[in-house]
Amino acid sequence: MAARVLQQCVRSFARPSLRLCSGNLAVRAAAAPTAALHRPLSFAADSRRTRWLGQSRTPSVGVLCRQYGDLPPLTLETIKDRVLYVLKLYDKINPEKLQTTSHFMKDLGLDSLDQVEIIMAMEDEFGFEIPDAEAEKLMTPEEIVQYIADKKDVYE
Amino acid sequence: CYLILSFPARRNLFFLQRQKVLGIYRNMLKTIRQVPDEADRKYLRDWARGEFKRNKNATEQDAIRMMITQANNHLEELQKSLALARS
Repeated sequence: MAARVLQQCVRSFARPSLRLCSGNLAVRAAAAPTAALHRPLSFAADSRRTRWLGQSRTPSVGVLCRQYGDLPPLTLETIKDRVLYVLKLYDKINPEKLQTTSHFMKDLGLDSLDQVEIIMAMEDEFGFEIPDAEAEKLMTPEEIVQYIADKKDVYE
Repeated sequence: CYLILSFPARRNLFFLQRQKVLGIYRNMLKTIRQVPDEADRKYLRDWARGEFKRNKNATEQDAIRMMITQANNHLEELQKSLALARS
């Protein structure tokens, strides 16, 4: 149902722009929706523009259709899920043994090179740089979650 | 690579070197990230990982220093090729 509403919005926004840029009689006739209003076809530029502004039918959901290209907000829960997801994808980690408190070197048997790779994967996932000095201290998933929450100002 | 050395000064040096090596590994991976082709990226990542892991247990100072120099040379080469490819 939401998809249908969005489709309607896109179509209604697309229609006026078609009308504005086309000067051709045939194109304008094609652009006018079959079941909707029929406008008298005149080629005066000003009248065309004012007619569009005056007569365009605002869709019922109108302004509410705006979409922003931003990511969902971060919470401690989502950070933890994403961190664990990335770790499960890492081939050297056994997913069954993975807990938020498992230490990379002591519990999971990884070495410092693997830890570097893990931190870099986290950088890719969350989209920001983690400096070397702080990266080398992150030894459990819990610490990574805490660090990211600090850096991204996530409180709960 | 956790050796027990008698002099604390030498041990500090040892860990400093370890940090240096890890730093080089990080820079290598960061540079490899910029390679445009996914297959090339995978190949280079596996190559770098193999090289570093293979020499993980080296203990002689000279050998380690030589490997660090080699790694830096590889890194520089890769960065130069990327700069050329971009221009």
